[in-house]
Parts: sequence; C-alpha cells; structure tokens
Amino acid sequence: MADPAGAPCVEVVDLHKRFGALEVLRGVSFAVDRGSVVSIIGASGSGKSTLLRCINYLEQPTSGEVRIDGEPIGIERRADGSERRRSMREIGRFRRDLGMVFQQFNLWPHLTVLGNVVEAPIRVRGLPRRQAMELARACLERVQLSEKSSEYPARLSGGQQQRVAIARALAMQPKVMLFDEATSSLDPELTGEVLEVMRGLAVDGTTMIVVTHEMGFAREVSDRVIFLHGGLIEEEGPPAQVFGTPRSERCRQFLAKLLH
Amino acid sequence: MGNWERLVWNQRNVLLDGFLVTLEICAIAFAVAVAAGLGLALLRLYVRPLRWPAIMWIEYCRATPIYVQLMWVNYVWPEILGWPTTFYTAGWVALALQSSGYLAETFRTGIENIGRGQREAAYAVGMSPLLTFRRIILPQVLVTIAPSIVTQFTVIVKSSTLVSVITVQDLMFQSQRLVNVWFEPIEILTATAAIYILFIFAVSAAGKALADRLRLRYGLGT
Repeated sequence: MADPAGAPCVEVVDLHKRFGALEVLRGVSFAVDRGSVVSIIGASGSGKSTLLRCINYLEQPTSGEVRIDGEPIGIERRADGSERRRSMREIGRFRRDLGMVFQQFNLWPHLTVLGNVVEAPIRVRGLPRRQAMELARACLERVQLSEKSSEYPARLSGGQQQRVAIARALAMQPKVMLFDEATSSLDPELTGEVLEVMRGLAVDGTTMIVVTHEMGFAREVSDRVIFLHGGLIEEEGPPAQVFGTPRSERCRQFLAKLLH
Repeated sequence: MGNWERLVWNQRNVLLDGFLVTLEICAIAFAVAVAAGLGLALLRLYVRPLRWPAIMWIEYCRATPIYVQLMWVNYVWPEILGWPTTFYTAGWVALALQSSGYLAETFRTGIENIGRGQREAAYAVGMSPLLTFRRIILPQVLVTIAPSIVTQFTVIVKSSTLVSVITVQDLMFQSQRLVNVWFEPIEILTATAAIYILFIFAVSAAGKALADRLRLRYGLGT
C-alpha cells in the first residue's frame, strides 16, 4: 500500500528500552525507506536484538515511537490531539505487516512445513483455504523447499527450518521483513543457503531490517548500515563508509576485531 | 474348573454390565477432569485475581483421599448445593474432582515448558493471544502430556472401584454382590482383578503407542 504522505516505511523515533535498572536502548532513531535494506551490526549486548524486537512490539518500548507508513504502532493519536495506548489486538494488526525471522527459527513443530506457512494467512488474514495454499506454495518455492511441504520441522536441517521460517513470514506479504540474527544458530555450512534466500529477497526489492553478524552480507546487500553501541547509534551510513572509513573509533575497533 | 465356570463364566453378563458402568463412569469423569484441569491451569497461569483460589482448589483436590472426596460430594454437596442428586453423579463428580487437580498441574507444566519462541513466532505474524493458545500452544501441550493424561485415566479406573461404596453398580459392586450371594470370593475376586489388570494394561499400552507415534512425528517430548 502506498502511503500518501510519503512517510518512510519504518520510522523509529527516540526509542528507549529499559529492563529494570538496565537501559538497553538509550534513544535510537532511524528511518527505513521502502525497498531498502538496513543492516544493524554491533557487539553482543549492544541492543541490536532488543531494537528489532521493539520494532514489532515483542518488547514494549519504554518510550519513543515506531511508525509504520507514518502510523505509530503502540499509540493511537486522535484528531483532538489525545493519545491512547493500543491493545494487543490492535498491535497484532500492525504485526501482520512486519515479517519476523528469529535466530532460533521457532517453527511450530506440530504443523507440517506447509501448515506452518499457511496458518497465519488463513487464521489471521482470513484468506480462503485454497488461496492461502497457493500463496504458501509460492512462498515455499521462493525459499526452494517445495518438495518438503509435507514434512514436519523436526525432520529438516537447521538451514531448511530457517528457510521455512522465512517463507512463513513472507506468506503474510509484509511491508517489511525483520531478521534477528537469522544465521547465528546455524552450522557454518548451512548459513550460505539462508543468506542466499535473503539476498534474493533484497534483490527483489523487499524492505528489510537485518540484525546480523555476517559482515560480508551486510556489506554486499545493505543500502545502509547502522552500528549500535551501548544502546545508541554510534555510526550510520552506506556500507562503503561504515566498513571502509568509519568515523567512530568504537566501530573501527569492532570491525578490526571481527577481521582477526 | 467347575467353580470358575459356575461363578465367573456363567455370571459373565453381570460382570460385563458392571464393567460397562465402570467404563462409562470413568469416561465421564475423565472428560470432565481434562476440561476442568485445563480450566484450572489457565486460571492459575493467566487470571491474576483467581490465581490463589485456583491454587487452593488444585491443592485441595490433590491432597484429599478419594474416599473422603466421594463421601464429601455424596453427602455434603446435596446439603449445601442441592446437587448431585444421584449416587451415579456423585461418583463421577468425585472422581473428576481429584483428577482435575492432578491434570491442572500436568497442563500447567506442559504450558510452561513450551518455549517463549513458539508464542513470539505466533504474535509476530499477528495472532492474538487466544488464537496463539488454541492453535500453537495447546496442541503441543497435548502431545507432550499425552502419556500423563493416559496415566491419569488409569488412576481414575482404579479409584473408580470405590464408587461401589455408594452403591453405583460398577464392576466392583457386581463382583462383591456375587461374592455375597455365593460366599466364594476366590474365583470371583480373582477374575475381577484380572479384568482390571487387562483393561489397565491395554489402556497403558495404547497410550504408550500413541505417545511414541506422536514423538516420532513431531520430535516433541522426551
């Protein structure tokens, strides 16, 4: 859906997240345009995953806003200027537009591959079964797993499971795909097939926010790279700049450590 | 063999009638216990104001001997609630009561053992908490706790022999009646024990086969 106001697809505004005494995000703002790929890099504990989980409200931000096509997810602004926190159900409506891929895949083990992919289109979007099936098969084809559609997740390799998880997210035809360290729990020889699928999505113009440790992927595929440190954006720019000539000393150190 | 024929084989219709009553009362008690157990577990986990009442009720059900519960339901409830009005109803209510306490705890552990990621994956595609529970959590819980549920059914079958005390005409009741008629307990009671053993073995074996199949298919459970 095109947005008349021309707002960015995703807008994160002064996001704070606190777990008890620990402030994990300390005011993060950035925007993602439609069709672009933004990678978020940084050391463990820098707040990358929390940031991604705040975008679809799996974690409720302590303050700040996330807007999808200009509309804030968590708050409703009425015409008279008053504000209201949205209910879980309303937030769910926004989440349909935000496909999420988890580090641990989180496939539903009691459903077949096809069952995993077709579940939300039927139950959440209310598509007729036949149409949902067609859609699900197309999504599985996109991740090259059509032949596994009647298997249960337990019978698949990690890489295959993650590709099913991507198909499951795609089947909701989201505006944005969020990847939370999608390859971090895979054996090295299995990361390639998942990255290949992600690369394909980027080439097709999918809007993506990717939290990753795969610097090669971030460098090649992203339009923009964000380096997060201590809950703040420390460096941000096109990959050539962030990887080639980072202005921040911390970013330089982080990248230097990874290259050794 | 004469005694066996006279006391057991020739009385097979009486014993069969009793067995059918046992089967029926256990099936009703089991169905009610599963539903009530799930309800209690949900109250305990998700309904804050009812958490403590639910815990107390569960503990009460688990900590009282089945015989006491049977007497309590049969004699106290009608005085206070005006229900149950028949011995039969009192029988399955008492059986269901006790098992619901155990099953509530089984359901609770089952629900708590489903990883957070399962829920999050459902929320992430826009499912509501209710839909998530119904479509994602509950089916997995049922698969993992299937063996415990089957075991609880066998517990109900064994406890059910006590309903004969309040004159429900189950297998135990019929067999005792035959003993009282003939004054020959050896064959009748041995045959009764054998029927219970065979039935419980059959249920356990079926339950185990089911659990194995589910585990193989979904890679769930232990």
